Amino acid sequence: MELLSIAERLGKVAYRNQGRSEARAHIEVDTDICNATCPHKCTTYVCPANCYTLDEAGKVHFQFEDCIECGTCMYACDQGAVTWRYPDPEVGRGVNWSLG
Amino acid sequence: MEERFDCIVVGGGIAGLSAAMVLARANKRFLLIERGEFCGAKNVSGGVLWGSDLERLVPGYSTDADAGFERFVGHRRLTFLDDQSSFSLDFKSGHFHETPFSGVIVLRARFDEWLATKVQEAIDASSVADESFLATNVLVDRVIQEDGRVTGIQAGEEQFFADCVILAEGVNNLLTRQVGLQPDYVPADHVAVGVKEVIGLDRTVVEERFQLDGLAGMTNEFVGYATAGVEGGGFLYTNRESVSIGLVLGMKDLREKRVKPYDILNDFKSHPAVADTLRGGEVLEYSAHVVSTGDMGSMPKQLYGDGVLVVGEAGHLLMNSGRAIQGMDYAMRSGILAAETVVEAAADVDFSSSSLRRYEQALEASFVMKDLKGFQDAVHLLHDPIMYEKMPAVLCDFGRSFFTVESEPTEKAIKSFRKAAKKHLTTWELVRLSAKAAKSL
Repeated sequence: MELLSIAERLGKVAYRNQGRSEARAHIEVDTDICNATCPHKCTTYVCPANCYTLDEAGKVHFQFEDCIECGTCMYACDQGAVTWRYPDPEVGRGVNWSLG
Repeated sequence: MEERFDCIVVGGGIAGLSAAMVLARANKRFLLIERGEFCGAKNVSGGVLWGSDLERLVPGYSTDADAGFERFVGHRRLTFLDDQSSFSLDFKSGHFHETPFSGVIVLRARFDEWLATKVQEAIDASSVADESFLATNVLVDRVIQEDGRVTGIQAGEEQFFADCVILAEGVNNLLTRQVGLQPDYVPADHVAVGVKEVIGLDRTVVEERFQLDGLAGMTNEFVGYATAGVEGGGFLYTNRESVSIGLVLGMKDLREKRVKPYDILNDFKSHPAVADTLRGGEVLEYSAHVVSTGDMGSMPKQLYGDGVLVVGEAGHLLMNSGRAIQGMDYAMRSGILAAETVVEAAADVDFSSSSLRRYEQALEASFVMKDLKGFQDAVHLLHDPIMYEKMPAVLCDFGRSFFTVESEPTEKAIKSFRKAAKKHLTTWELVRLSAKAAKSL
Protein backbone atom coordinates (compact mmCIF):
# COMPACT_ATOMS: atom_id res chain seq x y z
CA MET A 1 0.00 0.00 0.00
CA GLU A 2 1.38 3.33 -1.12
CA LEU A 3 1.50 6.29 1.28
CA LEU A 4 2.39 9.43 -0.64
CA SER A 5 3.55 12.87 0.43
CA ILE A 6 1.48 15.83 -0.74
CA ALA A 7 4.13 16.66 -3.35
CA GLU A 8 3.94 13.12 -4.75
CA ARG A 9 0.14 13.30 -4.76
CA LEU A 10 0.10 16.57 -6.67
CA GLY A 11 2.49 14.93 -9.12
CA LYS A 12 -0.43 12.66 -10.08
CA VAL A 13 -2.69 15.62 -10.96
CA ALA A 14 -3.01 16.80 -14.57
CA TYR A 15 -3.22 20.60 -14.85
CA ARG A 16 -4.42 22.86 -17.65
CA ASN A 17 -1.94 24.93 -19.61
CA GLN A 18 1.06 23.20 -18.09
CA GLY A 19 3.20 24.31 -21.01
CA ARG A 20 2.46 28.01 -20.49
CA SER A 21 5.28 29.89 -18.88
CA GLU A 22 2.93 32.35 -17.18
CA ALA A 23 -0.64 31.44 -16.36
CA ARG A 24 -3.08 33.99 -14.96
CA ALA A 25 -3.84 33.55 -11.25
CA HIS A 26 -7.50 32.76 -10.50
CA ILE A 27 -7.28 33.22 -6.74
CA GLU A 28 -5.99 36.36 -5.08
CA VAL A 29 -4.87 36.28 -1.48
CA ASP A 30 -4.25 39.41 0.54
CA THR A 31 -1.46 37.89 2.63
CA ASP A 32 -1.14 41.19 4.55
CA ILE A 33 -4.36 40.14 6.29
CA CYS A 34 -2.98 36.62 6.95
CA ASN A 35 0.25 37.97 8.39
CA ALA A 36 -1.02 41.01 10.26
CA THR A 37 -4.33 40.04 11.84
CA CYS A 38 -5.37 36.43 11.17
CA PRO A 39 -5.53 34.44 14.42
CA HIS A 40 -5.31 30.96 12.84
CA LYS A 41 -3.72 31.07 9.35
CA CYS A 42 -5.88 28.03 8.67
CA THR A 43 -5.33 27.89 4.91
CA THR A 44 -1.77 26.71 5.59
CA TYR A 45 -3.14 23.40 6.87
CA VAL A 46 -6.69 22.96 5.52
CA CYS A 47 -5.79 23.47 1.82
CA PRO A 48 -5.73 19.96 0.29
CA ALA A 49 -3.16 21.06 -2.30
CA ASN A 50 -0.77 22.82 0.07
CA CYS A 51 -0.99 26.09 -1.90
CA TYR A 52 -0.65 28.11 1.29
CA THR A 53 2.65 27.69 3.12
CA LEU A 54 4.43 29.23 6.10
CA ASP A 55 8.02 30.37 5.77
CA GLU A 56 10.60 30.21 8.55
CA ALA A 57 9.49 33.59 9.86
CA GLY A 58 5.91 32.32 10.10
CA LYS A 59 4.66 34.38 7.13
CA VAL A 60 1.95 33.00 4.83
CA HIS A 61 2.75 32.58 1.13
CA PHE A 62 0.30 31.58 -1.59
CA GLN A 63 0.84 30.03 -5.01
CA PHE A 64 -2.03 29.14 -7.37
CA GLU A 65 -0.15 26.76 -9.68
CA ASP A 66 -0.94 23.65 -7.62
CA CYS A 67 -4.57 24.66 -6.97
CA ILE A 68 -7.06 21.88 -7.73
CA GLU A 69 -10.08 24.25 -7.57
CA CYS A 70 -11.64 22.50 -4.59
CA GLY A 71 -12.89 25.72 -2.98
CA THR A 72 -11.74 24.94 0.57
CA CYS A 73 -9.94 28.26 1.15
CA MET A 74 -13.00 30.26 0.05
CA TYR A 75 -14.99 28.88 3.03
CA ALA A 76 -12.21 28.24 5.54
CA CYS A 77 -10.87 31.82 5.39
CA ASP A 78 -13.16 33.89 7.61
CA GLN A 79 -10.88 36.94 7.47
CA GLY A 80 -11.76 38.16 3.97
CA ALA A 81 -8.29 37.51 2.59
CA VAL A 82 -9.28 35.15 -0.25
CA THR A 83 -10.82 36.30 -3.54
CA TRP A 84 -11.79 33.10 -5.29
CA ARG A 85 -12.59 32.69 -8.99
CA TYR A 86 -12.53 29.86 -11.49
CA PRO A 87 -9.47 29.74 -13.75
CA ASP A 88 -9.76 30.92 -17.33
CA PRO A 89 -9.76 27.88 -19.67
CA GLU A 90 -7.31 29.54 -22.10
CA VAL A 91 -4.84 31.47 -19.97
CA GLY A 92 -5.48 30.17 -16.45
CA ARG A 93 -4.29 27.13 -14.58
CA GLY A 94 -6.55 24.60 -12.83
CA VAL A 95 -7.21 20.89 -13.01
CA ASN A 96 -8.10 18.49 -15.76
CA TRP A 97 -9.19 15.34 -13.95
CA SER A 98 -8.72 12.07 -15.76
CA LEU A 99 -10.74 10.03 -13.23
CA GLY A 100 -12.44 12.52 -10.90
CA MET B 1 -22.68 38.37 -31.23
CA GLU B 2 -26.13 37.71 -29.86
CA GLU B 3 -27.77 34.31 -29.79
CA ARG B 4 -31.10 33.62 -28.20
CA PHE B 5 -32.03 30.26 -26.69
CA ASP B 6 -35.00 28.82 -24.85
CA CYS B 7 -32.67 27.97 -21.99
CA ILE B 8 -29.02 28.26 -20.98
CA VAL B 9 -27.58 25.64 -18.61
CA VAL B 10 -24.40 26.61 -16.76
CA GLY B 11 -22.40 23.51 -15.86
CA GLY B 12 -22.01 20.09 -17.47
CA GLY B 13 -22.11 17.96 -14.33
CA ILE B 14 -24.88 15.55 -13.47
CA ALA B 15 -27.46 18.25 -12.60
CA GLY B 16 -26.80 20.25 -15.77
CA LEU B 17 -26.68 17.23 -18.09
CA SER B 18 -29.90 15.82 -16.59
CA ALA B 19 -31.64 19.13 -17.23
CA ALA B 20 -30.20 19.17 -20.76
CA MET B 21 -31.50 15.66 -21.45
CA VAL B 22 -35.06 16.69 -20.55
CA LEU B 23 -34.78 19.90 -22.62
CA ALA B 24 -33.49 17.98 -25.65
CA ARG B 25 -36.33 15.46 -25.44
CA ALA B 26 -38.82 18.34 -25.24
CA ASN B 27 -37.30 19.80 -28.44
CA LYS B 28 -36.08 22.93 -26.66
CA ARG B 29 -33.25 25.04 -28.05
CA PHE B 30 -30.61 25.28 -25.37
CA LEU B 31 -26.97 26.04 -24.75
CA LEU B 32 -25.12 24.08 -22.08
CA ILE B 33 -21.82 25.67 -21.08
CA GLU B 34 -19.07 23.70 -19.35
CA ARG B 35 -15.78 25.31 -18.33
CA GLY B 36 -13.81 22.05 -18.39
CA GLU B 37 -12.12 20.61 -21.46
CA PHE B 38 -14.93 18.03 -21.49
CA CYS B 39 -17.94 17.40 -19.28
CA GLY B 40 -16.55 15.82 -16.10
CA ALA B 41 -13.06 17.31 -16.40
CA LYS B 42 -13.63 19.51 -13.34
CA ASN B 43 -15.84 17.20 -11.32
CA VAL B 44 -15.08 15.11 -8.25
CA SER B 45 -17.28 12.90 -6.12
CA GLY B 46 -16.88 9.98 -3.73
CA GLY B 47 -18.80 8.54 -5.81
CA VAL B 48 -22.02 6.62 -5.66
CA LEU B 49 -24.99 7.73 -7.72
CA TRP B 50 -27.88 6.30 -5.71
CA GLY B 51 -31.41 5.60 -6.82
CA SER B 52 -32.96 4.70 -10.14
CA ASP B 53 -33.35 8.02 -11.99
CA LEU B 54 -30.48 7.11 -14.32
CA GLU B 55 -32.69 4.40 -15.80
CA ARG B 56 -35.27 7.11 -16.52
CA LEU B 57 -32.69 9.30 -18.17
CA VAL B 58 -30.78 6.64 -20.11
CA PRO B 59 -33.11 3.62 -20.44
CA GLY B 60 -31.28 0.32 -20.73
CA TYR B 61 -27.93 1.68 -19.51
CA SER B 62 -27.55 -1.26 -17.11
CA THR B 63 -27.12 -3.75 -19.92
CA ASP B 64 -24.75 -1.53 -21.91
CA ALA B 65 -21.17 -2.71 -21.31
CA ASP B 66 -19.89 0.70 -22.46
CA ALA B 67 -22.11 2.71 -20.12
CA GLY B 68 -20.14 5.24 -18.07
CA PHE B 69 -20.48 3.70 -14.63
CA GLU B 70 -17.79 1.61 -12.93
CA ARG B 71 -19.82 -0.96 -10.99
CA PHE B 72 -23.33 -1.29 -9.63
CA VAL B 73 -23.90 -1.46 -5.87
CA GLY B 74 -24.11 -5.16 -5.02
CA HIS B 75 -22.71 -5.16 -1.49
CA ARG B 76 -22.90 -2.54 1.23
CA ARG B 77 -20.94 -2.16 4.43
CA LEU B 78 -20.92 0.40 7.24
CA THR B 79 -17.79 0.15 9.39
CA PHE B 80 -16.97 1.61 12.80
CA LEU B 81 -13.25 1.94 13.52
CA ASP B 82 -11.10 2.42 16.59
CA ASP B 83 -7.32 2.53 16.26
CA GLN B 84 -6.91 -1.23 15.73
CA SER B 85 -10.33 -2.75 15.14
CA SER B 86 -13.27 -2.55 12.79
CA PHE B 87 -16.89 -3.44 13.50
CA SER B 88 -19.16 -3.62 10.44
CA LEU B 89 -22.76 -3.84 9.44
CA ASP B 90 -22.60 -5.80 6.21
CA PHE B 91 -25.38 -6.41 3.73
CA LYS B 92 -25.13 -8.35 0.49
CA SER B 93 -28.12 -9.52 -1.53
CA GLY B 94 -28.99 -11.11 -4.83
CA HIS B 95 -31.74 -8.49 -5.01
CA PHE B 96 -29.06 -5.87 -5.62
CA HIS B 97 -28.39 -7.54 -8.99
CA GLU B 98 -31.92 -6.77 -10.20
CA THR B 99 -32.43 -3.79 -12.48
CA PRO B 100 -32.92 -0.91 -12.15
CA PHE B 101 -29.89 -0.95 -9.86
CA SER B 102 -30.20 0.82 -6.53
CA GLY B 103 -26.97 2.66 -7.19
CA VAL B 104 -23.91 2.82 -9.40
CA ILE B 105 -20.32 3.65 -8.48
CA VAL B 106 -18.84 6.28 -10.78
CA LEU B 107 -15.66 8.18 -11.60
CA ARG B 108 -16.94 11.56 -12.69
CA ALA B 109 -14.47 12.37 -15.46
CA ARG B 110 -15.67 9.20 -17.21
CA PHE B 111 -19.30 9.15 -16.17
CA ASP B 112 -20.13 12.77 -16.98
CA GLU B 113 -18.36 12.54 -20.34
CA TRP B 114 -20.45 9.45 -21.17
CA LEU B 115 -23.68 11.14 -20.01
CA ALA B 116 -22.81 14.10 -22.27
CA THR B 117 -22.63 11.76 -25.28
CA LYS B 118 -26.15 10.54 -24.39
CA VAL B 119 -27.38 14.14 -24.21
CA GLN B 120 -25.79 14.84 -27.60
CA GLU B 121 -27.65 11.81 -29.00
CA ALA B 122 -30.89 13.25 -27.61
CA ILE B 123 -30.10 16.62 -29.21
CA ASP B 124 -29.40 14.90 -32.55
CA ALA B 125 -32.75 13.12 -32.33
CA SER B 126 -34.67 16.32 -31.48
CA SER B 127 -36.47 18.58 -33.97
CA VAL B 128 -34.00 21.40 -33.23
CA ALA B 129 -30.82 19.34 -33.60
CA ASP B 130 -28.79 22.19 -35.12
CA GLU B 131 -29.90 24.78 -32.61
CA SER B 132 -28.85 23.21 -29.28
CA PHE B 133 -25.23 22.98 -28.19
CA LEU B 134 -22.95 21.49 -25.56
CA ALA B 135 -20.11 24.01 -25.38
CA THR B 136 -17.00 23.00 -23.43
CA ASN B 137 -13.92 25.00 -22.47
CA VAL B 138 -16.02 28.13 -21.86
CA LEU B 139 -16.13 29.93 -18.52
CA VAL B 140 -19.24 31.91 -17.67
CA ASP B 141 -18.03 35.17 -16.11
CA ARG B 142 -21.37 36.53 -15.01
CA VAL B 143 -25.10 36.26 -15.29
CA ILE B 144 -26.76 39.12 -17.20
CA GLN B 145 -29.66 40.74 -15.36
CA GLU B 146 -32.04 43.36 -16.71
CA ASP B 147 -34.42 45.02 -14.23
CA GLY B 148 -33.74 42.24 -11.72
CA ARG B 149 -34.56 39.54 -14.26
CA VAL B 150 -31.97 37.04 -15.47
CA THR B 151 -31.79 37.24 -19.27
CA GLY B 152 -28.53 35.54 -20.19
CA ILE B 153 -24.87 35.04 -19.47
CA GLN B 154 -21.56 36.59 -20.40
CA ALA B 155 -18.50 34.55 -21.27
CA GLY B 156 -15.47 36.67 -22.15
CA GLU B 157 -16.56 39.12 -24.83
CA GLU B 158 -19.60 37.12 -25.81
CA GLN B 159 -23.13 37.36 -24.51
CA PHE B 160 -25.84 34.75 -24.88
CA PHE B 161 -29.50 35.30 -24.07
CA ALA B 162 -32.33 32.96 -23.15
CA ASP B 163 -35.80 32.87 -21.59
CA CYS B 164 -34.33 31.13 -18.58
CA VAL B 165 -30.94 30.23 -17.09
CA ILE B 166 -30.38 27.04 -15.07
CA LEU B 167 -27.41 27.33 -12.71
CA ALA B 168 -25.77 23.91 -12.32
CA GLU B 169 -22.36 25.25 -11.35
CA GLY B 170 -21.66 23.04 -8.34
CA VAL B 171 -21.11 23.84 -4.67
CA ASN B 172 -18.73 26.72 -5.37
CA ASN B 173 -21.73 28.61 -6.67
CA LEU B 174 -20.34 32.00 -7.62
CA LEU B 175 -23.18 32.82 -10.05
CA THR B 176 -25.88 31.81 -7.52
CA ARG B 177 -24.22 34.32 -5.21
CA GLN B 178 -24.05 36.93 -7.97
CA VAL B 179 -27.81 36.82 -8.54
CA GLY B 180 -28.39 37.27 -4.81
CA LEU B 181 -29.81 33.85 -3.93
CA GLN B 182 -26.86 33.07 -1.63
CA PRO B 183 -24.69 35.45 0.45
CA ASP B 184 -21.27 36.27 -1.04
CA TYR B 185 -19.50 34.63 1.87
CA VAL B 186 -20.62 31.16 2.89
CA PRO B 187 -19.01 30.26 6.24
CA ALA B 188 -17.25 26.95 6.95
CA ASP B 189 -19.91 25.81 9.43
CA HIS B 190 -22.05 23.70 7.13
CA VAL B 191 -19.58 22.54 4.49
CA ALA B 192 -16.97 19.82 4.46
CA VAL B 193 -13.86 19.04 2.44
CA GLY B 194 -13.57 15.73 0.66
CA VAL B 195 -10.17 14.23 -0.16
CA LYS B 196 -9.78 11.11 -2.19
CA GLU B 197 -7.35 8.81 -3.93
CA VAL B 198 -8.12 6.43 -6.75
CA ILE B 199 -5.92 3.39 -6.24
CA GLY B 200 -5.26 1.15 -9.20
CA LEU B 201 -5.45 -2.65 -8.87
CA ASP B 202 -5.82 -5.38 -11.48
CA ARG B 203 -9.41 -6.11 -12.30
CA THR B 204 -9.08 -9.71 -11.10
CA VAL B 205 -7.57 -8.47 -7.83
CA VAL B 206 -10.50 -6.08 -7.28
CA GLU B 207 -13.01 -8.84 -8.02
CA GLU B 208 -11.34 -11.51 -5.92
CA ARG B 209 -10.34 -9.29 -3.01
CA PHE B 210 -13.86 -7.89 -2.66
CA GLN B 211 -15.70 -11.04 -3.82
CA LEU B 212 -17.46 -9.28 -6.69
CA ASP B 213 -19.36 -11.07 -9.41
CA GLY B 214 -19.20 -9.42 -12.83
CA LEU B 215 -19.89 -5.71 -12.57
CA ALA B 216 -21.12 -5.88 -8.97
CA GLY B 217 -19.32 -3.52 -6.62
CA MET B 218 -19.00 -2.77 -2.94
CA THR B 219 -19.63 0.46 -1.05
CA ASN B 220 -18.11 0.87 2.39
CA GLU B 221 -18.60 3.89 4.63
CA PHE B 222 -16.48 4.38 7.76
CA VAL B 223 -17.09 6.17 11.03
CA GLY B 224 -14.64 6.71 13.86
CA TYR B 225 -10.85 6.46 13.79
CA ALA B 226 -10.93 7.12 10.02
CA THR B 227 -11.00 10.86 10.63
CA ALA B 228 -8.52 11.10 13.55
CA GLY B 229 -10.99 12.86 15.81
CA VAL B 230 -12.20 15.32 13.17
CA GLU B 231 -15.93 15.37 12.48
CA GLY B 232 -16.71 13.36 9.36
CA GLY B 233 -16.32 9.92 7.86
CA GLY B 234 -14.53 7.81 5.33
CA PHE B 235 -15.52 5.84 2.25
CA LEU B 236 -14.20 3.09 0.01
CA TYR B 237 -15.87 2.21 -3.28
CA THR B 238 -14.78 -0.41 -5.78
CA ASN B 239 -14.36 0.64 -9.41
CA ARG B 240 -13.70 -1.74 -12.32
CA GLU B 241 -9.89 -1.62 -12.00
CA SER B 242 -9.37 0.55 -8.94
CA VAL B 243 -10.84 1.58 -5.63
CA SER B 244 -11.81 5.10 -4.58
CA ILE B 245 -10.86 5.79 -0.99
CA GLY B 246 -11.36 9.05 0.82
CA LEU B 247 -12.61 11.17 3.66
CA VAL B 248 -15.23 13.84 4.13
CA LEU B 249 -14.11 16.19 6.91
CA GLY B 250 -16.10 18.96 8.58
CA MET B 251 -14.40 22.19 7.52
CA LYS B 252 -14.94 24.10 10.74
CA ASP B 253 -13.69 21.20 12.85
CA LEU B 254 -10.67 20.74 10.57
CA ARG B 255 -9.86 24.42 11.05
CA GLU B 256 -10.19 24.17 14.81
CA LYS B 257 -8.16 20.95 15.14
CA ARG B 258 -5.35 22.29 12.95
CA VAL B 259 -4.74 19.13 10.93
CA LYS B 260 -4.05 18.54 7.24
CA PRO B 261 -6.66 16.53 5.36
CA TYR B 262 -4.10 14.55 3.35
CA ASP B 263 -2.27 13.53 6.55
CA ILE B 264 -5.51 12.10 7.96
CA LEU B 265 -6.03 10.26 4.66
CA ASN B 266 -2.67 8.52 5.14
CA ASP B 267 -3.64 7.56 8.71
CA PHE B 268 -6.92 6.14 7.40
CA LYS B 269 -5.16 4.16 4.67
CA SER B 270 -2.77 2.75 7.29
CA HIS B 271 -5.51 1.38 9.55
CA PRO B 272 -5.09 -2.42 9.67
CA ALA B 273 -8.62 -3.07 8.39
CA VAL B 274 -8.21 -0.61 5.51
CA ALA B 275 -4.59 -1.31 4.57
CA ASP B 276 -5.50 -4.94 3.87
CA THR B 277 -7.86 -3.88 1.10
CA LEU B 278 -5.32 -1.61 -0.62
CA ARG B 279 -2.30 -3.90 -0.67
CA GLY B 280 -0.26 -3.74 -3.87
CA GLY B 281 -2.27 -0.80 -5.19
CA GLU B 282 -0.81 2.21 -6.96
CA VAL B 283 -2.19 5.73 -6.48
CA LEU B 284 -3.53 6.87 -9.86
CA GLU B 285 -5.03 10.21 -8.91
CA TYR B 286 -5.40 12.41 -5.84
CA SER B 287 -8.32 14.83 -5.72
CA ALA B 288 -10.24 17.05 -3.34
CA HIS B 289 -13.39 19.16 -3.34
CA VAL B 290 -15.64 21.09 -1.04
CA VAL B 291 -18.85 19.21 -0.32
CA SER B 292 -22.01 20.38 1.40
CA THR B 293 -23.10 18.33 4.39
CA GLY B 294 -26.85 18.38 4.13
CA ASP B 295 -27.30 20.90 6.91
CA MET B 296 -29.99 23.14 5.48
CA GLY B 297 -28.32 26.10 7.17
CA SER B 298 -26.08 26.47 4.11
CA MET B 299 -28.82 26.38 1.46
CA PRO B 300 -29.60 29.36 -0.80
CA LYS B 301 -32.62 31.29 0.44
CA GLN B 302 -34.58 29.93 -2.52
CA LEU B 303 -33.76 27.94 -5.65
CA TYR B 304 -35.51 30.14 -8.19
CA GLY B 305 -35.83 33.76 -9.21
CA ASP B 306 -36.99 35.75 -12.22
CA GLY B 307 -35.60 33.82 -15.18
CA VAL B 308 -33.30 31.59 -13.10
CA LEU B 309 -33.30 28.15 -11.46
CA VAL B 310 -30.63 26.60 -9.23
CA VAL B 311 -30.02 22.82 -9.35
CA GLY B 312 -27.74 20.21 -7.80
CA GLU B 313 -25.03 21.14 -5.36
CA ALA B 314 -25.20 24.79 -6.46
CA GLY B 315 -28.36 24.62 -4.34
CA HIS B 316 -26.49 22.63 -1.65
CA LEU B 317 -28.71 19.65 -2.45
CA LEU B 318 -26.63 16.96 -0.83
CA MET B 319 -27.04 14.93 2.32
CA ASN B 320 -25.08 12.54 4.49
CA SER B 321 -27.73 10.91 6.67
CA GLY B 322 -25.57 8.07 7.93
CA ARG B 323 -27.20 5.62 5.52
CA ALA B 324 -25.56 6.98 2.41
CA ILE B 325 -23.97 10.16 1.10
CA GLN B 326 -26.52 11.37 -1.41
CA GLY B 327 -25.75 14.20 -3.80
CA MET B 328 -25.60 13.00 -7.39
CA ASP B 329 -29.12 11.55 -7.18
CA TYR B 330 -30.35 14.89 -5.83
CA ALA B 331 -28.49 16.59 -8.69
CA MET B 332 -30.14 14.34 -11.25
CA ARG B 333 -33.67 14.73 -9.89
CA SER B 334 -33.36 18.50 -9.39
CA GLY B 335 -32.00 18.90 -12.92
CA ILE B 336 -34.92 16.90 -14.32
CA LEU B 337 -37.50 18.89 -12.32
CA ALA B 338 -35.97 22.24 -13.25
CA ALA B 339 -36.04 21.38 -16.96
CA GLU B 340 -39.63 20.17 -16.69
CA THR B 341 -40.47 23.51 -15.07
CA VAL B 342 -38.81 25.36 -17.97
CA VAL B 343 -40.91 23.35 -20.45
CA GLU B 344 -44.10 24.21 -18.55
CA ALA B 345 -43.10 27.86 -18.21
CA ALA B 346 -42.48 28.01 -21.96
CA ALA B 347 -46.01 26.72 -22.60
CA ASP B 348 -47.33 29.58 -20.43
CA VAL B 349 -44.76 32.05 -21.83
CA ASP B 350 -44.06 33.06 -18.25
CA PHE B 351 -40.55 32.84 -16.78
CA SER B 352 -41.22 35.08 -13.82
CA SER B 353 -40.30 34.03 -10.31
CA SER B 354 -43.92 33.16 -9.53
CA SER B 355 -44.06 30.81 -12.52
CA LEU B 356 -40.69 29.18 -11.83
CA ARG B 357 -41.72 28.60 -8.22
CA ARG B 358 -43.25 25.39 -9.58
CA TYR B 359 -39.73 23.97 -9.53
CA GLU B 360 -39.44 24.39 -5.78
CA GLN B 361 -42.89 22.88 -5.30
CA ALA B 362 -41.94 19.85 -7.39
CA LEU B 363 -38.71 19.52 -5.43
CA GLU B 364 -40.62 19.73 -2.12
CA ALA B 365 -42.91 16.91 -3.29
CA SER B 366 -39.95 14.71 -4.30
CA PHE B 367 -37.60 12.55 -2.22
CA VAL B 368 -34.99 15.29 -2.38
CA MET B 369 -36.61 17.82 -0.05
CA LYS B 370 -38.63 15.22 1.85
CA ASP B 371 -35.41 13.46 2.87
CA LEU B 372 -33.40 16.64 3.39
CA LYS B 373 -36.08 17.91 5.77
CA GLY B 374 -36.85 14.53 7.34
CA PHE B 375 -33.23 13.68 8.15
CA GLN B 376 -31.88 16.99 9.48
CA ASP B 377 -31.65 15.41 12.95
CA ALA B 378 -29.57 12.58 11.47
CA VAL B 379 -27.24 15.10 9.80
CA HIS B 380 -26.77 16.86 13.14
CA LEU B 381 -26.29 13.55 14.97
CA LEU B 382 -23.38 12.68 12.66
CA HIS B 383 -21.73 15.97 13.65
CA ASP B 384 -21.86 14.96 17.32
CA PRO B 385 -18.53 13.71 18.76
CA ILE B 386 -20.48 10.96 20.56
CA MET B 387 -21.34 9.57 17.15
CA TYR B 388 -18.03 9.90 15.32
CA GLU B 389 -15.70 9.26 18.30
CA LYS B 390 -17.34 7.42 21.18
CA MET B 391 -19.82 5.13 19.43
CA PRO B 392 -17.15 3.49 17.21
CA ALA B 393 -15.01 2.90 20.31
CA VAL B 394 -17.95 1.25 22.11
CA LEU B 395 -18.72 -1.01 19.15
CA CYS B 396 -15.10 -2.03 18.62
CA ASP B 397 -14.61 -2.81 22.32
CA PHE B 398 -17.80 -4.83 22.28
CA GLY B 399 -16.76 -6.62 19.07
CA ARG B 400 -13.38 -7.49 20.53
CA SER B 401 -15.03 -9.03 23.55
CA PHE B 402 -17.81 -10.78 21.59
CA PHE B 403 -15.55 -12.24 18.91
CA THR B 404 -12.62 -13.19 21.11
CA VAL B 405 -12.78 -16.75 22.39
CA GLU B 406 -10.58 -17.41 25.40
CA SER B 407 -10.05 -20.41 27.62
CA GLU B 408 -12.05 -18.60 30.29
CA PRO B 409 -15.76 -18.55 31.17
CA THR B 410 -17.57 -16.56 28.44
CA GLU B 411 -19.35 -13.35 29.24
CA LYS B 412 -22.94 -12.85 28.00
CA ALA B 413 -23.14 -10.38 25.10
CA ILE B 414 -25.33 -7.88 26.94
CA LYS B 415 -22.79 -7.70 29.76
CA SER B 416 -19.96 -7.11 27.26
CA PHE B 417 -21.94 -4.36 25.61
CA ARG B 418 -22.76 -2.64 28.91
CA LYS B 419 -19.08 -2.78 29.88
CA ALA B 420 -17.98 -1.27 26.56
CA ALA B 421 -20.65 1.42 26.73
CA LYS B 422 -19.77 2.30 30.31
CA LYS B 423 -16.08 2.63 29.47
CA HIS B 424 -16.69 5.31 26.79
CA LEU B 425 -20.06 6.89 27.56
CA THR B 426 -21.72 8.37 30.61
CA THR B 427 -25.22 7.05 31.30
CA TRP B 428 -26.60 10.39 30.21
CA GLU B 429 -24.68 10.26 26.90
CA LEU B 430 -26.00 6.76 26.25
CA VAL B 431 -29.59 7.84 26.93
CA ARG B 432 -29.17 10.96 24.79
CA LEU B 433 -27.60 8.99 21.93
CA SER B 434 -30.29 6.27 21.97
CA ALA B 435 -33.07 8.82 21.99
CA LYS B 436 -31.50 10.89 19.19
CA ALA B 437 -30.71 7.86 17.04
CA ALA B 438 -34.19 6.35 17.42
CA LYS B 439 -35.76 9.65 16.40
CA SER B 440 -33.43 10.65 13.59
CA LEU B 441 -32.46 7.50 11.68
